Amino acid sequence: MTVGKLSQILSLEPLAMPNGGREWNTVYIGDLLSRVMGHAAENSVWITIQPGINTVAVASLTNVSAILLAEGVLPQDPVIEKAREKGINILRGNDTAYELAVRLSELL
Amino acid sequence: MQEISLHILDIAENSVRAGADRIRILLDETPSALQVIVSDNGCGMCSDFLRSVTDPFCTSRVSRKVGMGIPLMKSAAERTGGSFTIASRPASGSATAHGTEVKAMFLTTHIDCAPLGDIVATLTTLIQGSPHVDYRFRHLQNGSLLAELDLCRIRQTLGEEIPVNTTEVLHWISEFLREQYETKNYHL
Repeated sequence: MTVGKLSQILSLEPLAMPNGGREWNTVYIGDLLSRVMGHAAENSVWITIQPGINTVAVASLTNVSAILLAEGVLPQDPVIEKAREKGINILRGNDTAYELAVRLSELL
Repeated sequence: MQEISLHILDIAENSVRAGADRIRILLDETPSALQVIVSDNGCGMCSDFLRSVTDPFCTSRVSRKVGMGIPLMKSAAERTGGSFTIASRPASGSATAHGTEVKAMFLTTHIDCAPLGDIVATLTTLIQGSPHVDYRFRHLQNGSLLAELDLCRIRQTLGEEIPVNTTEVLHWISEFLREQYETKNYHL
C-alpha cells in the first residue's frame, strides 16, 4: 500500500507528501532518535512524537516510507519545508502511537 | 544516546578525527544544571563549516548523507531548557592556537534530562581508542572537585615503555576514577 492511500484511508493529515506513491510494509515506533537510527526498518511508517528537524534527517538516513506524528504534534514550518525538499513524507494523526499502530496493523 | 556520557564520547571522537592530541573534558555540576565542555587542539573548522555542523543534513563523513552527533547533543541539551554552543578556530599558516570547543548546558531538573551515565567507561573507551591523546578530565560539583584524570601525568609516571591502552592500565584508570567518586559518595 502507498503512503498516499494510507493517508486517505485513515484520514491522516499529509503535512508533507512529496512521495505519496511510496510503498510501506511495516511500522516502527520510537522517539529516541539515536535508537531509531539503528533500528527502524526501511519502508516503515515511523510513528513518533518528535517533530524536529532531526526527525526528518533520521527518516532520510533510515529510508523509512513516512514519518507519522502522533498525538497531534505539529512541526514548525521549516521542518515541513525541509521534508518536502528531501522527499520525506510526513503524516499527522491525533491518536496515540498505540492507537495509530493498531489501525495501521489492520491495513497490513 | 540515552546518556550524556555517550554524547561526550561522540563529541570527543570528533576531536580525535580532527587530529587533536589534547582533549579536555570538563563537567561542571550545580544542583540544577550540568555543563559539559569538550575542547581540543584539533584542526578546527572554518566559519562556513561551523555554521553547518548543527544541521543534521551535513557531515564530514562521505559514507552517510547526514551527520547526527552534534545535532542530537544539541537537541538533548535544548530539550531540557539548556543550551548548546560550538566555537572553533581553524588551523592556518599564521595561527598558533587552533581547535574546537563544544559547550552544552543540561538543566538536570527537567524531567526529560538524560542521566550522565557511565562517564568512566566513556573515558576508558576514548583512551583505549586513541592512546596518543592527552586527555584531561575534571568533574566539579558545586565548585569543588569530584574527580579528575590527567593522562599526561599518568604517562609520565608509567614511562615510555608502557602504553596507556593496555588492559592493566585501563583497568587501573577505571578504578582510580571510580574510587574518587566513591570517596565523595557520588553514584555514577
